[in-house]
Amino acid sequence: MWRVTLRGLVAKKFRLALSSLSIALGVAFMAGTFVLTDTLGGVFDGLFTNTTQGVDAVVRSKLPYEPTGGQVSRDQLRPPVPESLVDVVRDVDGVARAEGSLLGYALVIGSDGEALQGQAPTFGLPWYPRSDTVNRSSEIVKGRAPRAPDEVAFDIRTFEDGGFRVGGPARVSFQTVPPREFRVVGAFLFGGSKDGPVGATLSAFTPATAQEVMNRVGQWDLIEVRAADGVSQTALRDDLRAALRADGLAADFESITGQQLADEQADELKSNLSIFNTFLLVFALVALFVGAFVIYNTFSITVAQRIREIGLLRALGATGRQVNRAVVGESLVVGVLSSVIGIVLGIALVPLLQGLLAGFGIDLPGGPLVIATRTLVVSFLVGTVVTVVSSLAPARRAARVPPITALRDQALDPAANRRRYLWGAALWVVGAVILLAGLFGGASGGDSALLIGGGAFFAFIGVAMLSPLLAGPAARVLTWPARRRGRVTARLASENAERNPRRTASTASALMIGLTLVSMVAVLAASLKGSFTETIRGQSSADFVLSPKGFFPFSPAAAEQIRAELPDATVVEYRIGVIQIGNDTVNVLGASPDFTEITDIGLRPGARRDAFARGGLYVEAPEAGARGLKVGDTVEVRFPDGPGRVTVQGIYAKELPPPFDPPFVLSLADWDRFPTTEDVSVSVLKGPGTTTREARRVVERAAAEVGGIAADDLASFIDRQIAQFDQLLNLVYVLLMLAVVIALVGIVNALALSVYERTREIGLLRAVGMTRRQLRRMVRGEALIVSAFGALLGLVIGVVFGFLIVQSVSSEGIAFALPVVQLVVFVVLAVLAGLVAGIPPARRAGRLDVLQAITSE
Amino acid sequence: MSVPSPSVTTAAARAVDVTKVYGQGDTAVHALAGVSVDFLRGQYAAIMGPSGSGKSTLLHCLAGLDRVSSGQVFLGDDEISAMNEKELTLVRRDKIGFVFQAYNLVPTLTGLENIGLPLALAGRSPDPEWLDRILTTVNLADRVGHRPNELSGGQQQRVAVARALVSRPEVIFADEPTGNLDSRSGAEILGFMRDAVRELGQTIVMVTHDPVAASYADRVVFLADGKIVDELAGPTVDSVMDRMRRLGD
Repeated sequence: MWRVTLRGLVAKKFRLALSSLSIALGVAFMAGTFVLTDTLGGVFDGLFTNTTQGVDAVVRSKLPYEPTGGQVSRDQLRPPVPESLVDVVRDVDGVARAEGSLLGYALVIGSDGEALQGQAPTFGLPWYPRSDTVNRSSEIVKGRAPRAPDEVAFDIRTFEDGGFRVGGPARVSFQTVPPREFRVVGAFLFGGSKDGPVGATLSAFTPATAQEVMNRVGQWDLIEVRAADGVSQTALRDDLRAALRADGLAADFESITGQQLADEQADELKSNLSIFNTFLLVFALVALFVGAFVIYNTFSITVAQRIREIGLLRALGATGRQVNRAVVGESLVVGVLSSVIGIVLGIALVPLLQGLLAGFGIDLPGGPLVIATRTLVVSFLVGTVVTVVSSLAPARRAARVPPITALRDQALDPAANRRRYLWGAALWVVGAVILLAGLFGGASGGDSALLIGGGAFFAFIGVAMLSPLLAGPAARVLTWPARRRGRVTARLASENAERNPRRTASTASALMIGLTLVSMVAVLAASLKGSFTETIRGQSSADFVLSPKGFFPFSPAAAEQIRAELPDATVVEYRIGVIQIGNDTVNVLGASPDFTEITDIGLRPGARRDAFARGGLYVEAPEAGARGLKVGDTVEVRFPDGPGRVTVQGIYAKELPPPFDPPFVLSLADWDRFPTTEDVSVSVLKGPGTTTREARRVVERAAAEVGGIAADDLASFIDRQIAQFDQLLNLVYVLLMLAVVIALVGIVNALALSVYERTREIGLLRAVGMTRRQLRRMVRGEALIVSAFGALLGLVIGVVFGFLIVQSVSSEGIAFALPVVQLVVFVVLAVLAGLVAGIPPARRAGRLDVLQAITSE
Repeated sequence: MSVPSPSVTTAAARAVDVTKVYGQGDTAVHALAGVSVDFLRGQYAAIMGPSGSGKSTLLHCLAGLDRVSSGQVFLGDDEISAMNEKELTLVRRDKIGFVFQAYNLVPTLTGLENIGLPLALAGRSPDPEWLDRILTTVNLADRVGHRPNELSGGQQQRVAVARALVSRPEVIFADEPTGNLDSRSGAEILGFMRDAVRELGQTIVMVTHDPVAASYADRVVFLADGKIVDELAGPTVDSVMDRMRRLGD
């Protein structure tokens, strides 16, 4: 039977190539994603091995508690260590040298006045002038190290990008002190490479200056320690731990080895990377799911076409099992082939993927491609298994072909039966229930995503199984206008689509999946954007809003400057922090006490605004209800620097305007308990004595002087936020395109097979006078029916999904919105793409030789 | 040997010194080796010959389904051997009717739609009176709403004949139209075709290997080895069989 299988494959190279392509694309995306993220992981490993070079151990404060939600990093939460601890550490046995270190906010303003900031943070650090400094991650490559308080050195990339020169001036912006002018004295290479800092900018100051400008006077982030000769990293760490314990400091401070620190830092970045990896893998899986439909369809069609041949084999004594194995064997060959092609393609496409992400503002550091065994094994197995599993149903159908078929003339798929529809309906219901459970069942993030994804998976298969019921009516409705005008080609196209509703439906289903996801995303995006705009407009009366141009919060110096220059204005700063209430770690929004003058959060009567100015908490009503909190209650909390108590000063009813989602607002009067003071946003309401123009000038100047900040009025702030959101959204659309492209490959494949199957009939049509043009129009008409059917089905399901998801988060103040124009555009584009997919099979049909066609068997 | 008629207007289809060669050089096969023949308007002609005599090739060339290697083919006054693909298609649609041995009908269309197909492709609708007459002639009026798979083989061929007639073509070419039918259905079809010629004034050229079928024709042309070797007017089953037997010798 193997010989029959292989010969069958070789004979149909075109079909083989197209169906392989549908899986290979998905596998390629999967392999590409793995290689990309592994490569990044390799870069990060290297980076942190470099940044801790020479550091055998560190001493630092213990993390008070784990931050949640990813909005605050562990380093932002970890309290500093007192400077005096350095001397304690120095006296420990086995310590050769100990130096205080810190990594703080320092935004470099380039020589053109523009802040040097991409998506990476901007760091300042201390530079120890001695040649035997502990941390050897950097070396001066131009000029010299900073020695005086007004001197700075930059990493070489920042030095070049900023257009600086040795001896020239540079302006650097900080959080707790106003921007300052420095003299550039040199440039250094970090981690042995120009790309060492992975996009971050580094500014090095003398240790005392670093402490002063980065809010660490008398403090360090951590102490870096070098071991004495012959003392290992672990021995040093253990000595340090013992010393801390002996001095009674073990409750607040800890020690880990340099290697542990490197691993920890790399792991933190890599956990973000794994989110990114998952994000991309989801699209790869969607692509493979669509590819599975194409494979299923291809095998169903070819089994149907070879039904006489199979009948003959059965008549000659082949068992059903042998026939089954022959079909599955064929799919195994296709699966192996497409997986191998996909993996090769995927590795080759990594630079393209990087380019694509860079195009959407996600610049990733490059490095030597890391091709892990896992990449090869997983991609290969997934590609092969998906292909083989997709062929199981057609193979079973082939095995059930009775020998008598060899003698019959019928060569059509068996009609879809009621059992199949019952199964489809059952799957659909199960999928819908799981989906709804995921949405409304109150499961946590990861579980609910899994439930939603799994539910959608079953619902899709269910719909695909049920969709043949709709294929006929859809074909008639879609071709109605053309048929009404007496187009016989439309009539024929419609009949062709109807004669095999299962084939039409499963070809369309592949496209349906893509369109479902696209329109669901469109609905979600429109709802989010609409609600965002609505909430901001409805709740904020700010004249101006400052927001970071990049992803990172900015210095409160801007707000200070505006306050100083516009004394009658209300200037509100917002920060994000993490505290513990009881055993819960929660995010809090830090806000200037008078923020309710700009932002209406629906503060309930009885709120104590005056008291809030001296500190305290506003709590969102549902949260207050859940915790039994009322105004005046005192809450025991843990701040980053230790336990504390805060008073509930008010209960509010409205959601905070996005993107702030914590249900707690903490007065900035209490913010001295947090180690960092960056603002995520600043709102300005000008006083009556200032004209809008004056106010605008002040705000814009402050933003420009501090650097890296966008200053907008409310309308353009909304636009800017939406533009940032749209960028991500467009990336999602581009990634979903892959699923649509694979579905189009499926349409090409199915139509080409149908044309091949109908050679004789096409010959007849041509003989009795159908022109090539009419023939092509007929085939394109079929493509149009299939793509319009799939697109519309996807649209409906996508809108319903979108609606359900919006409903599930309606408590977050998000209201359903229907982006009609956009959805129409998507459907039209999909149908046009389907029409284009019809061109190759239409041309193939047009090129058939009439005489050969009518005389063919 | 038939001499081409001087009057072109009376010939519905005409081949002049037609050759058809497959392959090249030593392996070349001369399917038609210089055939000149006229088929007159209003005549029911049959082409007979042993397997490989070139009778089907001649029919295909006359119908514009195949290209001649040399010589000319006329349909009425139009030289179809000089036409391009598009012109040929339109000639087939508007001026030629076809009845094949099998696979005559589009399975997705009803009988009536199949009959109207050439006109529909031309964007026209059938003349109701003419359609009526055809349906009466082929005795199908009550079955034309059905799809081909609901019709018997004989009924399917009757639909095919009706389709061939509907556009009042210059010539109907029939390739073994009764080859797949039992003798009773075959006789029916042949009768209808003869009636189409007698009563509706059509012209039919039919390829067959069956002397009974040939006996319905007004004239039989015999082909052997790509050449016209004989012809017979007013054939009977016996006279045709007699000629065929002699050809076989």
